[in-house]
Order: sequence, then C-alpha cells, then structure tokens
Amino acid sequence: MAVLLARLDRRVTPYLLVAPFFVLFGAFGLYPAARTAWMSLYDWDLLDGPVAFTGWANYAALFADPGFYRALANTASIFVAATVPQLLCALGVAALLDRPLRGSAVWRAVVLLPNVVPVVAVALVFAQLFGRDQGLVNWVLSGFGADPVDWRAHAWSAHLGVAVMVAWRWTGYNALLYLAAMRAVPRELHEAAELDGASRWRAFRSVTLPSIRPTLLFTAVVATIGGFQLFTEPTLFGGADGGADRQFQTLVMYLYEAGFERFDAGYAAAVSWVLFALCAVLALVNAALLRRAVRGG
Amino acid sequence: MRRRSLAWLPVVLALTATACGGAGGELRITVATFGEFGYEPLFAEYERLNPGIDVVGRVTDFESHHKGLITALAAGRGAADVVAVEEQYMPRVRRSKDKVADLAAFGAGGLHDRWAPWKWQQGVADDGSVIGLGTDMGGLAMCYRRDLFQRAGLPTDRDEVAALWPTWERYAEVADRFAEHVADARFADSAGTIYTAVLNQAEENYFAKADDSFIGDTNPNVRRAFEIAGRIGAKGQTARVTTFTPDWNAAINQGSFATITCPAWMLTQIEEIGGAAGAGRWDVTTVPGGGGNWGGSYLVVPAQGAHQREAYRLAEWLTAPEQQRRLFVDSGILPSQPAVYRDPAVLGHTNPYFADAPVGRLFAASSDTVRPNYRGLRDADVRPVFGRALGRVENGQRTVGQAWAEAVDEARRIVD
Repeated sequence: MAVLLARLDRRVTPYLLVAPFFVLFGAFGLYPAARTAWMSLYDWDLLDGPVAFTGWANYAALFADPGFYRALANTASIFVAATVPQLLCALGVAALLDRPLRGSAVWRAVVLLPNVVPVVAVALVFAQLFGRDQGLVNWVLSGFGADPVDWRAHAWSAHLGVAVMVAWRWTGYNALLYLAAMRAVPRELHEAAELDGASRWRAFRSVTLPSIRPTLLFTAVVATIGGFQLFTEPTLFGGADGGADRQFQTLVMYLYEAGFERFDAGYAAAVSWVLFALCAVLALVNAALLRRAVRGG
Repeated sequence: MRRRSLAWLPVVLALTATACGGAGGELRITVATFGEFGYEPLFAEYERLNPGIDVVGRVTDFESHHKGLITALAAGRGAADVVAVEEQYMPRVRRSKDKVADLAAFGAGGLHDRWAPWKWQQGVADDGSVIGLGTDMGGLAMCYRRDLFQRAGLPTDRDEVAALWPTWERYAEVADRFAEHVADARFADSAGTIYTAVLNQAEENYFAKADDSFIGDTNPNVRRAFEIAGRIGAKGQTARVTTFTPDWNAAINQGSFATITCPAWMLTQIEEIGGAAGAGRWDVTTVPGGGGNWGGSYLVVPAQGAHQREAYRLAEWLTAPEQQRRLFVDSGILPSQPAVYRDPAVLGHTNPYFADAPVGRLFAASSDTVRPNYRGLRDADVRPVFGRALGRVENGQRTVGQAWAEAVDEARRIVD
C-alpha cells in the first residue's frame, strides 16, 4: 500500500503542482478565446445575446470594410514609428549601461521609471504636451518660429504623438532586458575580439548582437503584440472615436467601437480573432527576419 | 445632470452605518447614478420615512456607468436595483425591454400626467410598457459672454440678444458680425454643438417616424443643420473644442468662444470651470429656433433585481414632484414635470453667476417648446458619422459639400 502510494505520489504530484496554472489559463485564456470564436459566427447583440447564426458573415463584412483596413494601416504605422526607434534607442542605452559606471544601480532604476508610471497618467500628460492651443510642444515650436501643429487633426502628427508616448514608456524596459542579456555574454569573447584588434563597434556587431539574439527576438515579439493591441494611449490622446477622419483609430479601438458603441458583439469577436491571427503571423515573421539579420553578424 | 463628468470620479460607495451588523432584516436597495444627481440627502430621508429599508448609492462617471450597466444587463447580474439611464441610451434600453421591469405592473401607468409628454414618451417602449421614470431634463438655452459681445459692438442685454437670433440662419449672420470685430476669440465652441441643437429641434432626424427607414440623405432638416453648422465651422468661427474635454475647459476659462448652446445642467460646469474670474461675464438667453433639450435621465429597474417592487417604490418617490422641486432648489437640477417647473419658486429662480439671468423662466420656456424627435433604432450608429464629418470641415480638410457627401455615403453603408 505504502509503495503504491509512493508511486502514485511520484506520478501525480508534478501534475498537481502545475495544475493551478493550467486551470487559470483554461478559465481566463482558453475559455474566453473559444467563446469569442463561437460568438464571431453569430449576429450577436451585446445586450440581447445571439440573434441568428450567420457563419462567416462577420468575417466577410470585416474584410469588406474599408474602416478595418484603415485601422490596420494606422496600427501598423504607429507601431513602426514607435517600435523601431524605441528598440534601437534601448540598445544604445543598454550598451552605455553595460560599461563600468558610477552609480550604475541608480541609472538602471531611473531608466525603468517611465514604465512604472500608470499608462493613464502618462497618456494624460502627453495629451496636454501635444495640445493644439495650450500645448508645450507647440509653444516650443513657435519659439523656433514654426507654426503650431494641430496634433490630432493629421494622421502623421497624431501617429507621431502616440508613438512618442509608447516609446517613452517602453524604451527603458527594453534597455534593461538587453542589459541583462549583455551581462551574460562571456567575457572571453570580448577579450578575444580585443586581441584580434576589433573596434568597439565591430565587437558590438560581431560579439554582442549575436549573443543577445534570443532577447532581441523576445523584445521584438512582445513589442509587436503590444503594438497591435494599442488602445489606451490613442484613446486618451485624442478621443475614443480616433479622430474626425479616423486618422488614429487603432484595431482595438475599432473593435471597441463595434462591441461597445454599436453593441455588435459578434462583429467585435470576429475582429478580435483576426487580431489574434495577425499577432501570431507577425510574431513568426519577426522571428524569421531577426534570425536572418543577426546571423553571423 | 452632467452628460459626462468632468473628472474621473472614483467609485463612491456610500456605505451606511448599518454595514457593521446590528440592523437585522433590513432590505437594502442599491441606486446607481452618474455625475451629479443630488440624491444623497433624499436617500437619508427615504430611510427615515421607510423603516426597514436601507438605501445605498453608487456614483460613477458617465461612460463607466453606462458601459457597466450594459454589461450587467447582458450578463443577467451585477446591476443595481435602481439605475439611472441618460436619454441617449434610452432607445437601446427600450429595444431590450425584457432586461428591465415593466413599471406599469407596479402602477406607473397612472403617473404619466406628472411629466412633460415628450419626457414621458421617451421612457415608454413600443408595446406601451413603462421602462423608465424621468428624472431631470436638459432644457436648452444659449450662454454667451457679455464682455466679448460688447467688444464686437453687439448688444449685451439678454432680450436684445435673443432678438438678434430668432432663427439659426440669423445666428450665423451674428457670427459673421462678431468675426469682423473680434480676432482673438471665436463665436461658438464647435460646429458639433450647433449641429446637434439645430437637428434636435426637428421632429425627424435620420430615420422616418413612419417606418424607421433611413432618410438622413434626403431629410432637409439634416441637410440644413449640417449646412448651418458646417459653414460656421468652415469660416473658422468656432474654437474647435470638443465638449467636456480639457481643451474645452481651457477655452471656457480663457474666454476663447462667445456663445454655446447650454442645457440647464451645463451652467454648473461653466461656473466650476470659469471660477471667480468668469463671474458676471456670462449671461443666458433663448436659443435660436425656439427651444430644445439636451440630456436628462431616467430611473429604470433592471429585471434581474430581487426586490423590484421596493425598487420601483423608491424610484417613484425620487422622481415625484415634491422631490424634483427640492432637487432644483438645493442643487439646480431642472425638473421634467410641468407642474414643478411652472412653480413660482422655480420660475423665479435666477443665477447670480450668469448676471442674475432668470434661468428658471428660460429653461421652463425652452422645455415647453420641445418637440420630441424620433430617433429610430440605429440612430446611435449614424449620428457620430455626421459629427466626425463636421470635424473634418472645421479642420479645413474638407468643404461642407465634400464632408456631406462622405457622411451620407458612410451612413448608407452602415444602415445597409
């Protein structure tokens, strides 16, 4: 009996120990996703529930709606404007922090500060900075003799404003991830590069970058998924409708409008599945691109 | 009552003293409102009059309140026993009337004489079931800056100002006169508020009263409202600020615009934002075209509640004439019942911040001329389309004609 119990213990206990995660993931991840997929096949009113089974009609309507492509283009544009400079900046900051510095712990803490401030507070402050009539940015511009910009009225300026906000929040966070990865690069490699007479830049390109490739991949994927789920920043920056010409309506804002302004839950569910598929594809593309870019240096 | 709260009000849970045990067998009724309903003292009185009842108020901001209500109604649980619903959400609730109690079952049917007919009608579903009791209303007037009018060489006396604009076309002419003389301020806050006021004076907007078909592209009322508001916007005569945003607050504070169509509940906001510096600069007069309504709410009883009869009794008491009168005197919340707003105490009410304007008389008169306008089931899907089109005109990105054509196209796509 005791032997049996011991054997059972060895067999079952590991599963019991990992069970909480899977139970939670099932309840808060898998089930909602499956139910959303189910809802997307119906004409589903947010208040009244399922009205009629419509099969793929929601998806057909979605791919036929120019508004969806506009939201997609806005999202991609803001994502590129926010992410590319942000990751390059983070690399630079990490490289600087990787050197022997006085008070390096303090610097690292400072770099992370923008990320721990709640997003709503950040968005409200930046919305003020980019104000049309009373904004600090326009005040500085006019100091240089330039015309003030109506930041929310044009696609380029609204995208830029939101991108600055996103970059402000995430640059330090990514820099710390890169720094941790750089710290793990074996010293011997650097020493060998130095003996070979490599310049600092060359060593960075041929030693550091290839060594931190997994981290680069991780940050790129996380930034992509985050970037395509952008909602709070643009909403607080210029209003939930995404501008008079929808010039800064992101995909999630588009989803929100369908589900919570028009109460069309079936359509919103279809949008969220398309968004999920997009993120998955983009993550794979990211991985492939990065593998190619950093291979061999 | 505010359509949108100015700040993100935290959820205020008014926990009564009975929370810590002791009072056994008390029936708790929860009331969810948004912004400022002024109900707290009334709750205390109701508890005094009805031993054994414990009323708990929940106040949130406009957006969270309504989004939360929709979610709770959809889920079948989580709604308060009595819930306030702002008029723009009423068509949606009327459509899903099985989610809320038919108050006629508790005797509400006999109360209709209390309210202005249009106010009562908004709370009645197609099949005649009573789903909401009216709280306040948003009788429409025009707030204007005396100091800016003086600089523009326009009269400042409110009766003379009213005579300037019997119609919206004349209002647009005054805007031109104003722009000739004043360069550092605009005549109106935004094309959107003008458009809303003009449009809501018409009996039919985007959908036909007869068969709920889309008429937004052919209805001359929509076209006229769009042209009037659009032209004022295209000439740069609006401050281009969206109501209730920080920019709008700043514009009020700095006197960036001279006129705004203001419902009763907005006066408190203008006073709070303008502060002492704005005292006596503002005045109130009649709105072009006779009158109108913007905002105001209803109390509904969700069908998921366990104590619907008691909830109804409380809602009926809160909206009764006696309480409406008190709310007006104490908190300036405009009654929606003719017997109350024609009460001498209400009619004689003036507002010191607005140069002692006879606000009681102005808003009561405005409410009397309100013609209920037919909204239709999909009004809320189409309405923002035209608002955004006007925004593009104000930004100088489109002409009035181009924006109109785009809006009609977009609206047709939505209703097809």
